[in-house]
Amino acid sequence: MTVARVAALLLALIVLPFVATPYALHVAIVVLFNVTYTAALYAVLRMGYLSLGHAGFIALGAYTCVILSVRLGVSPWLGIPAGGLVAGLFAWGLGALTLRLRGIYFALAIFAFGEIVTAFFRAFDWFGGPAGIPGVPRPAFLGTPLASHFAFYWPVLVVAVLGIAILYRLQYTRFGAALLTLKTAESERLAESVGIPAARYKTANFVVSCVITGTMGTLHAQYLLFVNPQVFGSTMSTDLLIYAMVGGLAGFWGPILGAGLLTALGEQLFSVGYWKTLVYAAILMVVIMVLPGGLADLPRRLRAHFGAPR
Amino acid sequence: MNPVLEVRGVSKRFGGLAALSEVSFEVARGELLALVGPNGAGKSTLFNTIAGVAPPTAGRILLEGTDVTGKSSHALARLGVARTFQLVTLFRELTVLENVVQGLHRHTRLAVLDGLLGLPRYREDTRRLAERAEGVLALLGIAAHRHERADALPLGIAKLLTVAIALATEPRLLLLDEPAAGLSHDEATRMMDLVAGEVRKRCTVVLVEHNMRIVGNYCDRAVVLQFGRKIYDGAAAGLVHDPAVVDAYLGVAEMDG
Ligand SMILES: Nc1ncnc2c1ncn2[C@@H]1O[C@H](COP(=O)(O)OP(=O)(O)OP(=O)(O)O)[C@@H](O)[C@H]1O
Ligand SMILES: [Mg+2]
Repeated sequence: MTVARVAALLLALIVLPFVATPYALHVAIVVLFNVTYTAALYAVLRMGYLSLGHAGFIALGAYTCVILSVRLGVSPWLGIPAGGLVAGLFAWGLGALTLRLRGIYFALAIFAFGEIVTAFFRAFDWFGGPAGIPGVPRPAFLGTPLASHFAFYWPVLVVAVLGIAILYRLQYTRFGAALLTLKTAESERLAESVGIPAARYKTANFVVSCVITGTMGTLHAQYLLFVNPQVFGSTMSTDLLIYAMVGGLAGFWGPILGAGLLTALGEQLFSVGYWKTLVYAAILMVVIMVLPGGLADLPRRLRAHFGAPR
Repeated sequence: MNPVLEVRGVSKRFGGLAALSEVSFEVARGELLALVGPNGAGKSTLFNTIAGVAPPTAGRILLEGTDVTGKSSHALARLGVARTFQLVTLFRELTVLENVVQGLHRHTRLAVLDGLLGLPRYREDTRRLAERAEGVLALLGIAAHRHERADALPLGIAKLLTVAIALATEPRLLLLDEPAAGLSHDEATRMMDLVAGEVRKRCTVVLVEHNMRIVGNYCDRAVVLQFGRKIYDGAAAGLVHDPAVVDAYLGVAEMDG
């Protein structure tokens, strides 16, 4: 993206809360959550790894922040980086163990991890049990808690913009370029033979993705005012994958587009309950069958079909 | 002066199979050594033990006098061991130039923070890496292909690119696993002229080759393996007259090469 476009987008995001209705602002906040998670997931997909349990890291961030603030009386502000840190530590350990696996083995290992995280919180009353933990405090600014959508929008926007900027720029660093050499076992062997420490790089990238995911997870819990094991369960993990697939995996903006569009649509369907899952699944099937490159590939396909504009 | 490479009593077992049995030899600086032997003799396995892909079951590997046995593949790359694979292996989705840039990895300062901020000195570094990669491409005569994707290259160019990637690491020791195999006569000649010329000027080379004509024409010395044992170590020219080697290759057409 050009500097001008980025500036225009940023400006729109800054003006938005001044003109949007509270409901529209609610949708915007949820879009920012999901867009950030999906961009972080894409960073892992980009190096050839299918993380089927990424919501586990949202849950780790969210619960860390909630336990700290509700159970231990720590400031919700401190809970935000703490959640990112805990998610990152788990990603480090888990990445070191599982990133040597490939394909379905890695995907299922991470899926199992996501299940273990939520099952763990469900199992212990101190962690809220099946019902979760209500009454999550929001951080305060100048003594006033960020209670309104308008007020809470700002920390969400800051974390989203910072997180996405880091993920975007990281691709174009030499580190980010080296990650592309680790996509298959064969290619990884060549990478190692020229001195690329594959395991270390993969783990580092996984940690970056999960720190950003976990950090946003803390704000997510504060926004909802509660956590429970269901919200950040396997459905969330598969939703993120659906966003990324529907948007298209060829580039950075595809998953973001998918997350933005589907989340906005999903919020409209929220009141009718199970429709959301059905609609997401149907859209995924249609996109995979008729537009395997995702929505981001649509302009190119249309140009190819109707001829390039002169 | 220490030899560049010392292989001391190296054995490698895969379960019950002894792929290498107490193999010992040395490679002097600047040498071009051929590693020869019938299929399954253990040549690729030997490369893997030297390059840290699969550590030997017994024995030691020394690089310029330093024991490097058991070091990881990427650690050995940083110590100056580069290799190509018998099955042509490239970064398939990257361009030819990007492939060689990755080969320069051990000369790269990662400086992730500089990169995130897009600092001028970082971009300058990146530009210099690309220039260096261009130099390697020019050396191997494949610069015209710089923007082509690696998985779209014809075999002759792809094999030259594998050498370019390895050479970009600026190794002390370069292991080439059958660089000429599968190439036409002209392509093989081009490859071997480069290996014995520009490549050899820059590092010590060990290459696996089945074709005796190529071994005799281009290499100084040959080590022959059979069933994981060394059966010959001497002048490449003397190879075809050695009874044990002739015996090992009896009936193998490449002897006529
Ligand atoms: N990873 C492995 N696991 C089990 N056996 C192996 C493995 N790698 C090689 N071998 C066996 O070790 C022996 C030596 O194989 P190697 O590939 O080193 O032979 P080579 O001399 O390179 O032969 P070629 O000329 O066919 O390339 C063979 O019998 C092979 O089947
Ligand atoms: Mg072999």
